[in-house]
Amino acid sequence: MLGYICKYAPIEIFESMGVTMKRIEPDVTNFNQADMRMHPNICSFVKGVLEEVMAGEYEGVILTTCCDSVRRLYDVLKMEMPDKFIYILDTPRITKEAGTSLYETRIRKMIQKYEAFSGKKFDEQQLKDVLDKQQKAESISHKKNCKNIGIAGARATDQLKQILESRGAHVAFDLTCTGLGRKFVLEDEEILTGYTKGLLSQFPCMRMESASNRDELLLRYVDSVDGILYHTVQFCDNYAYEYAWLKNLIKKPILLLETDYTRQSYGQVLTRIEAFLESLAAGKKQSINKKGENGKMYVMGIDSGSTSTNAVIMNQDRKIVAYSVVRTGAKSGESADKILKEILKKADLTREDITKIVSTGYGRVSIPFADENVTEISCHGKGAHYFNPKIRTILDIGGQDSKGIRLNESGEVVDFVMNDKCAAGTGRFLEMIARSLEISIDELGPIAMESTEDIEITSMCSVFAESEVISLIANNKEKADIANGICRSIANKSYSLIKRAGMEPDFMMTGGVAKNPGVVRAVEEKIGAPLYICPEPEIVGAAGAALYALESCL
Amino acid sequence: MSVVDKYINYVKEEAIHQPEKSWDKMVLGFKANKLKMKLLPKKGMAKGYQKLESLMMSFVADSLGKRGSYVWGNIFAPCEILQCFGLNTLSIECLACYFTGYHLEDYFIDCAQNSGIATTLCSYHKTFVGAVESKVVERPEYAVTTSLSCDGNLNTFRYLDKKMGVPYTFLDVPYSDDEESIQYLADQLRQLVTDLEDRFGQKFDEEKLRKTIRIENETRRDLKEFFELQTKHYYPGELISQLYMMMGTHLLIGTEEFRDLIKFMIEDIKTYPEFTGKKILWIHLLPFYQESLSKYFNENPDYQIIASDIIIDYMEEMDEKDPFTALAKKVIHNLYNGSYSHKAKMVGTLAKDLEPDAVIHFCHWGCKQASGGSILLKEKMQQMGIPMLILDGDGIDKRNSHDGQIKTRLEAFLELIEAEEKVC
Repeated sequence: MLGYICKYAPIEIFESMGVTMKRIEPDVTNFNQADMRMHPNICSFVKGVLEEVMAGEYEGVILTTCCDSVRRLYDVLKMEMPDKFIYILDTPRITKEAGTSLYETRIRKMIQKYEAFSGKKFDEQQLKDVLDKQQKAESISHKKNCKNIGIAGARATDQLKQILESRGAHVAFDLTCTGLGRKFVLEDEEILTGYTKGLLSQFPCMRMESASNRDELLLRYVDSVDGILYHTVQFCDNYAYEYAWLKNLIKKPILLLETDYTRQSYGQVLTRIEAFLESLAAGKKQSINKKGENGKMYVMGIDSGSTSTNAVIMNQDRKIVAYSVVRTGAKSGESADKILKEILKKADLTREDITKIVSTGYGRVSIPFADENVTEISCHGKGAHYFNPKIRTILDIGGQDSKGIRLNESGEVVDFVMNDKCAAGTGRFLEMIARSLEISIDELGPIAMESTEDIEITSMCSVFAESEVISLIANNKEKADIANGICRSIANKSYSLIKRAGMEPDFMMTGGVAKNPGVVRAVEEKIGAPLYICPEPEIVGAAGAALYALESCL
Repeated sequence: MSVVDKYINYVKEEAIHQPEKSWDKMVLGFKANKLKMKLLPKKGMAKGYQKLESLMMSFVADSLGKRGSYVWGNIFAPCEILQCFGLNTLSIECLACYFTGYHLEDYFIDCAQNSGIATTLCSYHKTFVGAVESKVVERPEYAVTTSLSCDGNLNTFRYLDKKMGVPYTFLDVPYSDDEESIQYLADQLRQLVTDLEDRFGQKFDEEKLRKTIRIENETRRDLKEFFELQTKHYYPGELISQLYMMMGTHLLIGTEEFRDLIKFMIEDIKTYPEFTGKKILWIHLLPFYQESLSKYFNENPDYQIIASDIIIDYMEEMDEKDPFTALAKKVIHNLYNGSYSHKAKMVGTLAKDLEPDAVIHFCHWGCKQASGGSILLKEKMQQMGIPMLILDGDGIDKRNSHDGQIKTRLEAFLELIEAEEKVC
């Protein structure tokens, strides 16, 4: 069995020689080998491939010179596995005559090498037989009564498609390199020539010169779907250019989703896709009347975050009856039980009085008593609109992530951007810094307000920023100035988030960090507009979840 | 605050708040800096490096000051062909560095990232894309780029064309080192000439190109001699001098001006004292702004960067009789093309010729082609008995380089090579 990754790899040649070809789709938990043999800042997909090949039972790998990271992958594999058939096929970026004839020469050389390695023989007629049997893949399909989503960008994994399908959406097309069918026009005399032309005339990826024409096809396809999932891979930069260009041209909702091919990223990927589908479904009216016996009805929203678990009980008149905030412990389920007891007591109600419970937040699926779960992105949108209908842009900074969310006038989510798997610009980051400054997290904001000197914290990484802070302390800088520098560094990160989501006033800040006056001031200065902060900024998500519960009951 | 700093701040503010009006002021600043370099060169620096700095400042300031006199390129664009049309090649990587003179890199990088460009992209490209996004830069008539040495080239130039309407020629550099590759690229170069003839309404003179290649060969021989001399004499330069030298060997190679400068440097260096410190061979880019590295490598008699692979990435004699094939060969045989073992072999030859005490490889943020092979190179250097240090940082964006970490790694490494000498 030979592994391959690129759509320009001539896999049918090997199949015609009786070799099983497997497209490598890494599913790994770490990059131990890659970090040791390559460098951490290499495309995550390529690092995953290295792990997979070094652990797997491949006879060899057919690579193409598709990008810088793959070129280095070849170097490492070649050195690590000298006895295997590790081959890199020099693939031209130009698809005109000069490119195809060069590629054919390259493919012939590769065949010779493999014949020598395996003892097998290549026969053009057998290649033709393999190609004739190939079924034409349908490039676009639609389903009625569900959301049709198109995928574009960098190679989409099966996982993305499974998530979409399992959430009731239909994948109408996949224009990434994993989703395209090949078409070959073959003449008996020149089978390999026709085959090579067919390979290079596939829908071009971003490395090809002819990729300038991608827009046209993409825009045509986009018209027929409800939304686009634009996928990019961490440390692969090529598709971000296209996203940056297309996002202003495409009129349909578009979700930019970056993945890193590790199993651990599943949760974050899920949240983003679910929130996207929720935003597409917004506006639908539901009406199920489930009032209690006494004509009163109560619903509950519970937001299980990484730092705090928050709950809100609301009555049928959309009035908050009670709310509660507790610290999330090691097990989110336990914190949920605790908050349930606490809030019921505050509201003087029993579990039976609550018609419906909707959970949200990072731990939303771990709450056993919830009837339904909705992502925190949609809930924050709904909650923000409830507290102040003028809000169009929300900055939510929680314990482990931060988000920029843009709403329309009905409070529906139009776009959102989440931070990457990185603590910079989150509540956790502030906690780390407060520890270094030997103050409590609650003191950090008020201290920052006393600052008299501007200090720039330049490091973007939270670990580096922490050591930068330690150096500043060593240089006898004032705590207040350092604290304010940190607040400004968070403000810069946040600005970039909400800018990417699309900045539109009025602005609101939610999440625990909204209680920090230093950060609030710094963000206001950066965006040049005031932030609306509701009296209890931590319960906005839970209030949104309660509203979801209410809407499904009224 | 000095007048210079005031002007820098003024241009920076203009670029941010009135971008359309800032370009001429920016170019005026470059011109003023060119004069300053001529009249008040940096005192501690060797005369040759002073002249080099001033030549490169003139090259950029004069080109930008005259519309139609330059094209945008990447560092591997065939400047020799463009010179035949009287056009200078301004590489966008170098222009990005020049923008840092106004401390605009953070602002431009943020602009690019906020528009959706990947944060993990090379910061040189991000700076330039951001400058275009923020509407500061003036549009040139044409651009030429190659697929060497990174993925960013084609994508950046395609993006710039879409954003600003800058037509460009893309040269696809094959990975394999064989005859087919050379002919494939040589044909593209011939086509480039035809395209330039049409666009600029000038007839191409092949004899001019032959002459350029003759000068280029002479310059390359001289460079080799200069680098050998630099292993023996203390010739004070700065980190940025290496970048200027790289600009010279890529954008001005084949010109009489650059050849004459190298000839001057050969004579000048002989008048400097013997170098007795540690000789460092530098691999890849240099973060010229970096505090700790500047302390150790700017005009320091104890540690001298004797050469860098970014300057000497091709050392063969070119055949002027067949100029297009020669230019194609130059790019295909370049140290940055092909497999990493090719690069390791060329760096190995360089190390054999120049006998450095140590090698430092700087992994520039976003540069996958260089970072991805750094460990392979370290193994090769270990086999040759040369200690090698890998540093991580960013050639342009301070926010990605952590001084404390670089300082610790560097000082520990320097202690290690000092200790090795004592053992020997």
